[in-house]
Amino acid sequence: MKIRWNPIVKKDLQVTARSMRFSWGLFAYDAVLVMAFLLALAVIQANSDNYYSDSNIYGNLIYLFPVLAVAQVMIVALIAPIITASSISGEKERQTFDIMLTTCMSPFSIVLGKVVSAVLRILFFVAAGMPVMALSFVVGGLSWASLLYFVLAIILLSVLSGSIGILCSSFCRRSITAVVLSFAIYFVIYVLTFVPMILSLLWTEGDSAGESMLFLLFNPGVFFEEFFMQIMTGVSLFGTEGSMFSTGDVGFLTYYLSQGKTWMFLSAACILILSILFMIVAAWRVNPMNTSGGIKRKKAKMAKG
Amino acid sequence: MLNIYDLTKNYGSFTAVNHLSLHIPEGDLFGFVGPNGAGKTTTIRMVCGLLKASSGSVQIGNISARMGSKEMKRLIGYVPDFFGVYDNLKVHEYMDFYGSMYGMRSRDIAKLTDDLLELVNLSDKKEFYVDTLSRGMKQRLCVARALLHNPKLLILDEPSSGLDPRARVEMKELLKNLHSMGKTIVISSHILSELSEMCTSIGIMNRGQLIMAGRIEDIMQQVTGGRRIHIQAASGLDTAVRLLMEQAGVVVESVRENEIIITNNGTDEQASALIGQLIQHQVVLTGFYREEGSLESLFMQLTGGGVQ
Repeated sequence: MKIRWNPIVKKDLQVTARSMRFSWGLFAYDAVLVMAFLLALAVIQANSDNYYSDSNIYGNLIYLFPVLAVAQVMIVALIAPIITASSISGEKERQTFDIMLTTCMSPFSIVLGKVVSAVLRILFFVAAGMPVMALSFVVGGLSWASLLYFVLAIILLSVLSGSIGILCSSFCRRSITAVVLSFAIYFVIYVLTFVPMILSLLWTEGDSAGESMLFLLFNPGVFFEEFFMQIMTGVSLFGTEGSMFSTGDVGFLTYYLSQGKTWMFLSAACILILSILFMIVAAWRVNPMNTSGGIKRKKAKMAKG
Repeated sequence: MLNIYDLTKNYGSFTAVNHLSLHIPEGDLFGFVGPNGAGKTTTIRMVCGLLKASSGSVQIGNISARMGSKEMKRLIGYVPDFFGVYDNLKVHEYMDFYGSMYGMRSRDIAKLTDDLLELVNLSDKKEFYVDTLSRGMKQRLCVARALLHNPKLLILDEPSSGLDPRARVEMKELLKNLHSMGKTIVISSHILSELSEMCTSIGIMNRGQLIMAGRIEDIMQQVTGGRRIHIQAASGLDTAVRLLMEQAGVVVESVRENEIIITNNGTDEQASALIGQLIQHQVVLTGFYREEGSLESLFMQLTGGGVQ
């Protein structure tokens, strides 16, 4: 059976592949990764008494992985909403979106196509950064399976970031507004999900964070921290002594989730559900049958007033 | 082919389209006329499923589905007034993209693309990037794109706006060609002379309401039924005005330097009798002619001079 591509994915990839901006973007991405790699290597070398005889250097080289991975995660988190935030508003600006809506594609397929094309474009970046990442695995002593897990985690992050971008793009007519709004939602997900935990700790004078920690299941930052912890040490961040997440008496559910890799998988599922929710809202929003033409209504009011 | 029943669109307290009902028979080339803000585009957007109607329904052929549903979209080919393009996309790729969006197979799209590009006279541009085409070519490409899924109804929203005279003629010829092939076409435009030349029927909208619709011959007959006569005189204009005002069934509309415009509801014989009377009263006539009925004059009468 022949697999049918979502036409939007095919078209977006065709257009992107021919764009010089994309090629330069890949070049810049690799350049940043190489710089991060060299910087990390220099720091490790500077911290070793004797580069050639110090056996600890091999132990320290393992830190190349988190340094590069965090750099990659940050870049992906930064570029994914920029790519998707302009996807629907860009179509609106070009006045091609109306034609798209008159075709037989459902609004959800349009939104999904835009997110998938953004994820695939991000995968181009990830693939371009693979040789640099591979260096950290060669000298860092981590398994290739870890690299595969990392790629899967990056895909998850790009789906979330992409769906945030598409959500904002569906609400804004201008791409720049959509990008700004995307980063506002980032702030809510990455920062404000800590607020219940902090409030609980303040309320109990540091004794218990309770189940308020569960909000952090939706935080990709915490997910990646847990992910790196699991990959490098094999234990959960939540069960590690001295970790900010293990301070105080956590609730029953949080304690149960901190056993093994449960938290990591559940967090991945939560992030995926959140992404799908964002896509459904975006699809609802772009469907002209669900809106009553607010902008025109405003204009009509202005014309009357 | 296209039946619109009681279509209404409200924006708060403002009514953009007010209880519009319309029937367009199969194979018609229907011209939608109206000043800016009359509600033409709003109506078209509602029919195409790009805008939610406040009330009313649309039926295409025998299919009466919800506006914006897949069944309806499959029956309509839509050409907007402005043609947006993607950078770095070739003409055949552009067609392939939209064909795929209708669920068509690439092989079928490729075959149809060749035929349609020939129809719109763009066969030699197949490998060109869309953004390098002229505006007229882009508009014709957009028509080809709209025909790709073989819709029953083709809707064009001001396709000639922004086109140069040559591109307008080409577009007009293309639409005539499509009409002769039996396509039902709805076109909104401000260029009334163009519409009167090619349309088989028209609808005139003003302030959200359809104020007149029908076969173009019937409508033109109504215009000529106005009996507007221009009388030009070298001297004796005052006498002529006085005399005309005394005549039953004659209304003096305006008096200019050497010209009087009247409306005569009488017969042609009565009009020719007027000439005799004017000459008898020493009016030196230099011209006496009946105004040709035009869509422009009808439009001006019906919309209160709101032509663009």
